[in-house]
Amino acid sequence: MRIFILLLALFLSACGAPEPPLVVSQLEISKPMPGMQMSAGYFVITNNTDESTQITSVSSPQFEAVEVHETTISDGVSRMRELEALVVPAQSSVVLERGGKHLMLMRPRDLQDSVTLQFFSEDLPVLSVTYSFSKDERK
Amino acid sequence: MNPRKFIIAFALGLALAAGAFMALQMQTPSQPEFALVLPDPNPVPAFSLVDQHGAPIDQTVFAGQWDLVFFGFTHCPDICPATLQVLAAAKAALEEQEQAPLPRIVLVSVDPQRDTPELIQQYVNYFGAGNLGITGKLEEISKLTSGLGIYFEKRPTDGDNYSVDHSTAVLVINPDGKFSALFGGPHVVDNYVNDLPIIMGGN
Repeated sequence: MRIFILLLALFLSACGAPEPPLVVSQLEISKPMPGMQMSAGYFVITNNTDESTQITSVSSPQFEAVEVHETTISDGVSRMRELEALVVPAQSSVVLERGGKHLMLMRPRDLQDSVTLQFFSEDLPVLSVTYSFSKDERK
Repeated sequence: MNPRKFIIAFALGLALAAGAFMALQMQTPSQPEFALVLPDPNPVPAFSLVDQHGAPIDQTVFAGQWDLVFFGFTHCPDICPATLQVLAAAKAALEEQEQAPLPRIVLVSVDPQRDTPELIQQYVNYFGAGNLGITGKLEEISKLTSGLGIYFEKRPTDGDNYSVDHSTAVLVINPDGKFSALFGGPHVVDNYVNDLPIIMGGN
């Protein structure tokens, strides 16, 4: 019995806490500039599952519309396009950063000190993440 | 000449040569490392637009100071604020170094349909005092951009929404109102801090 418990403990510690299937990290949202109706969001999204997934939509109670956009710069020209879906391959991360893929947050409504984002994917549970503006941005 | 004297003479000669080389180096003016300097500055083409206060302006608005001119629009949340942030940070760094004169930051809207003077004013003010915002009739903006080799084009996204593709270059316009240098992207604060004193000092 003792050995069984020991083995069980070993097994559990090896597993650790179960990994969430989808993780959003390094989230950074800029507060809309005074008078502006839009802002951008940047983050890293990691798919811990063995299946590729795609984020089909993102929504936020603090913005009327949220879209995934991609800025591409070629031949000295910047172009911005909406992405239909954000594909996150199995066991991989996708980086959303300035001058690349980003969230476009449009028409803020009752925006206070934080923004909550909900990520809808094809087959994984809805992921909800909240970002709080730093004190500098709140003024 | 005994070997000892020879070595001393040789060392002296070497030191002299090194000194002369360094003196020459110091006299040669440094060149901008990142900006493309036009050998023959181009006058800004004639146009009739408005500034962020709605006051009419023309090409003479570029005379009298150094300008860093960026073409963008306020409904652009990614690359436009990032570029203006870089220009504002570079200007602040130059001010810290007591560089004089300091350049003015100018945003020319490539989306005059949505960019009213009021909106442009709020936008440019966000990046510091003394900035200039330019908007107005589309055909007048095209006169300015085409004369400076700047491209922009409206692209529908979804519904009534649209984005504007645009050149990312930042143009340097000298106090004679002539386009004299260009910074291509990606825009990096240190590149401006390094090159601008050379460009502005060389006029």
